[in-house]
Amino acid sequence: MTEATVRQDYPISGSLADRLMAPGVRDLIEGMANWRLWSMLGWNDIRQRYRRSALGPFWITISMAIFVVLLGVIYSKLFHQEVAVFLPYVAMGLIAWGFIAGTTTEACGHFIENAGIIRQIHLPFTIYTMRMIWRSFIVFLHTVVLIVPIAALFRLEIGLATLLVFPGMLLVVLNQIWLSIVIGVIATRFRDTAQLVATAIQISMFVTPIMWPLSAIQDARLVADINPFHHMIELVRAPLLGGTAEPLSWMVVAAMCVVGYGLAALALNRAHLRLVYWL
Amino acid sequence: MASISLSNASVDIPVFATGNNSLKTTLLRKIGGKFNQSGHNLLINALSNVSLDIRDGERVGLIGRNGAGKTTLLRMMAGVYPPTAGRVRVVGRVAPMFDLSLGMSPDATGLENIRICGALWGLKPSEIEAGIDDIIEFTELGDYLEIPVRTYSAGMLVRLSFAIATLRRPEILLLDEIIGVGDASFMAKAKARLASMVGHAQILVVSSHSDLIIRDLCEKAIWLDKGSIAAFGSVEEVLQEYKASV
Repeated sequence: MTEATVRQDYPISGSLADRLMAPGVRDLIEGMANWRLWSMLGWNDIRQRYRRSALGPFWITISMAIFVVLLGVIYSKLFHQEVAVFLPYVAMGLIAWGFIAGTTTEACGHFIENAGIIRQIHLPFTIYTMRMIWRSFIVFLHTVVLIVPIAALFRLEIGLATLLVFPGMLLVVLNQIWLSIVIGVIATRFRDTAQLVATAIQISMFVTPIMWPLSAIQDARLVADINPFHHMIELVRAPLLGGTAEPLSWMVVAAMCVVGYGLAALALNRAHLRLVYWL
Repeated sequence: MASISLSNASVDIPVFATGNNSLKTTLLRKIGGKFNQSGHNLLINALSNVSLDIRDGERVGLIGRNGAGKTTLLRMMAGVYPPTAGRVRVVGRVAPMFDLSLGMSPDATGLENIRICGALWGLKPSEIEAGIDDIIEFTELGDYLEIPVRTYSAGMLVRLSFAIATLRRPEILLLDEIIGVGDASFMAKAKARLASMVGHAQILVVSSHSDLIIRDLCEKAIWLDKGSIAAFGSVEEVLQEYKASV
């Protein structure tokens, strides 16, 4: 909050472009810019969740490790793959998927969960999205540490190409932000959305090459290529395994972001007018 | 120069998933705003065609029966309820004080909550740090500030919430019936604190059922009845009209 400025002016005036984009775009920019607030809220969410638990968020690390070991060992036999190659593949896929699935699922309720604040203080809606994304990212960091023992145990190639995981993850996070905003707005109005999303995520987990290798489908690569989740996971998984993601993956995720943020701005425009009444 | 300006502003609130419409309509017609139906959703006309101008320096009380639309009006001024018709224009730094314990985290300590709630209220970290000593002294909570807030009594919570919420120096102060459960010494302190905030604010809008508070804090008043302004004038005039109707 700064000096006296026009805080609220309804209805929005100006050209069609102004009215179409203005509140939504401003919401995105101001929301993301206020990193102090959303990082503090997100961090506090994590602390709140694990305050009285002995191991705290490292329970996340442990459960992911168990899942990875079990799936890695058993499924490598199933698909006739070498454990040393397959287990890291499953691990990186699950770790990336954990973030994507988690944020997509939490996106449904994240505005509703902030209803108290929304009804009292006028803040950009993007703040609540960033709060959720930040806490999911912190959880992700607790799982991605497993790369260290896995890389050591299975002698993964760590080179300059591995650094591509940073821009890769950044693009995935950016993608999840707009997606969460759009899903959040829709799910606040239509409460069935949560159920739909949960089902879609469950199905996606099996349809996307995470627990099974891409080589298993041979000629039907289309199945993976049309799956946006596959591309997002590849951006994170491939560098960590010592390879590089295909250019197609970069292009798909980047294109999704460009279109997606437009959708998010439109969704926020609508939200500014009606969302509080849907809570 | 702070100002609040509403012009033909209306708020229609949709009620989703109403099962037995007729029962609800019958029950709710006794209290609350006007009803009408629009397609499948019930719409509550919380505010209809409200026009008013509040200028810099004015202190306005908001009175009316339960369900008249006072909270809706305040929320519209706070910028959280966009009007479904008409115009709203608010200029100035607004402090909406509806739910004082907004953002409180039960397992966090008093001091941690000061930082969280302070940030939520829009205070910068430097402002919060500068205000911490003031809060410690005002709340008289002492060592309790180092332990989780869920151990506090209701009165202690009010002290803490009030102290955090009143750290700001807003230009427009909106109060929605915030009377706490504090003890006598706290109430005296709270009154003084509020008076100081009111003194600094350029516009004050208070919603209350207490004549005393309205007379004490305001020189003008609005009587809101079933979502419309029934009277807007000096406190005494409006209070008289309101009393006459009851």
